[in-house]
Amino acid sequence: MDAELARYLPHLSRMSAQLKQTSSQIESSVVGVCDSFQGIAERARSTVSRTTGFLSSEGNRTSSKQSFESLIQNCADTLVKILNTTEEAGEVSRRAIERIDQMDQASQMIGAALLKLEQIAHENKMLAMNARIEAAHAGIHGAGFAVVAVEVVSQTERAQEVTAQVSGLIANLRALAGSTLEDLRRTNEQDSKRVEKSRHEVDDSLRDMQDAHGEMEQMLTVMTEEGALLANDIGAAVRGLQFQDRISQQIAHVVEDLDTLHTKLTARFGGMNAGDAVSNEGFSEYTMHEERQVAGIGGTESAAGDVELF
Amino acid sequence: MQREKNANLEKEGKVRRVLIVDDSVSMRQMVGYTLRQGGYEVIEAEHGADALDKLTGATVDLIITDLNMPVMDGITLIQNVRSQPAMKTKPILMLTTEGLAAKKEQGKAAGATGWLIKPFDPEKLLQTVAKVLP
Repeated sequence: MDAELARYLPHLSRMSAQLKQTSSQIESSVVGVCDSFQGIAERARSTVSRTTGFLSSEGNRTSSKQSFESLIQNCADTLVKILNTTEEAGEVSRRAIERIDQMDQASQMIGAALLKLEQIAHENKMLAMNARIEAAHAGIHGAGFAVVAVEVVSQTERAQEVTAQVSGLIANLRALAGSTLEDLRRTNEQDSKRVEKSRHEVDDSLRDMQDAHGEMEQMLTVMTEEGALLANDIGAAVRGLQFQDRISQQIAHVVEDLDTLHTKLTARFGGMNAGDAVSNEGFSEYTMHEERQVAGIGGTESAAGDVELF
Repeated sequence: MQREKNANLEKEGKVRRVLIVDDSVSMRQMVGYTLRQGGYEVIEAEHGADALDKLTGATVDLIITDLNMPVMDGITLIQNVRSQPAMKTKPILMLTTEGLAAKKEQGKAAGATGWLIKPFDPEKLLQTVAKVLP
């Protein structure tokens, strides 16, 4: 009976070593999984943080680049300024039209005044002619009066010439003002239509950009929520993975007991050890590489992950 | 919430540092992961003696320690830490599989601030840390 027990004595130390190795392998795996969690969480946080920074000025305070939100705002401000400047130019043009119109009306009034001057000149000439007739009737006594009448006719004719020149100039001026007015009105009307059209286009584009921004913000909210869910899932996984610590402790206790048992049995049956060749019998069913390594049996073999084609 | 608070403190150069003491690499990893998610900086030690070594070279705001460890256990670590005048009020949490009332009393008498049983819930751990580190 003692001899039978002694045959299994070496098994105890091997079992102990196997348990330690198993515990160590589980721990390595859990550490690897935790490393991956760390990476997943960091990447998720970094993605949300960078997207937040891109979308909002709040999250982009430290960056020299403009956020998407401020880009839209700057774009809107610039477009509104351009439209306002164009509208101001249109307003200046409208005021110029009004002034030219007023100038035309003044020219018309000058024309009317010149007509009156022409009438007066005509009446003066008639008066001078009558004066010459009366002077002729008066004979020698009217000779001086006749000279004055001739001079009046002459002055009146010069005044009529000047009036005719001014009338011609006024007519030219009115023609120029008329064509300028026509050009300005046409340009102003076209500009107003273009500005109105541009304003609609700008409004539509800005609305589209705002919509796109809103959608991106919604996506960001979803991403943030997903990130929180991911953090919860990882938290649950971390809690679950702690089974390794408990198993590790339990294995350590079993190993401690096995080692104690081994020490005590060695003290009692050490002299009766039947040797490794016999004690390896108990491992004949083992198939795992690690187990065979611990047992010190088996020859050269492939390691995990190796591929061999025949 | 706590993470944002810690992020703001980090911007001011006042990062909260936690020393994790556990002989299990995976436990240090999991506790470390959880605390980093909460915005804390983490230092690790394998056992009590290693923790005392780390404490001579760095300032920490909180210590989270296991109970049963080789070289120096958690209770002895707490007693050593509390014997230093500068560490009298330093929060120390025990994180262990041990749940016996007698052990808890022993920890309390040594100067532990709190006692958490493994496996820990990451969210609860962060809440507890926030309570002892307002």
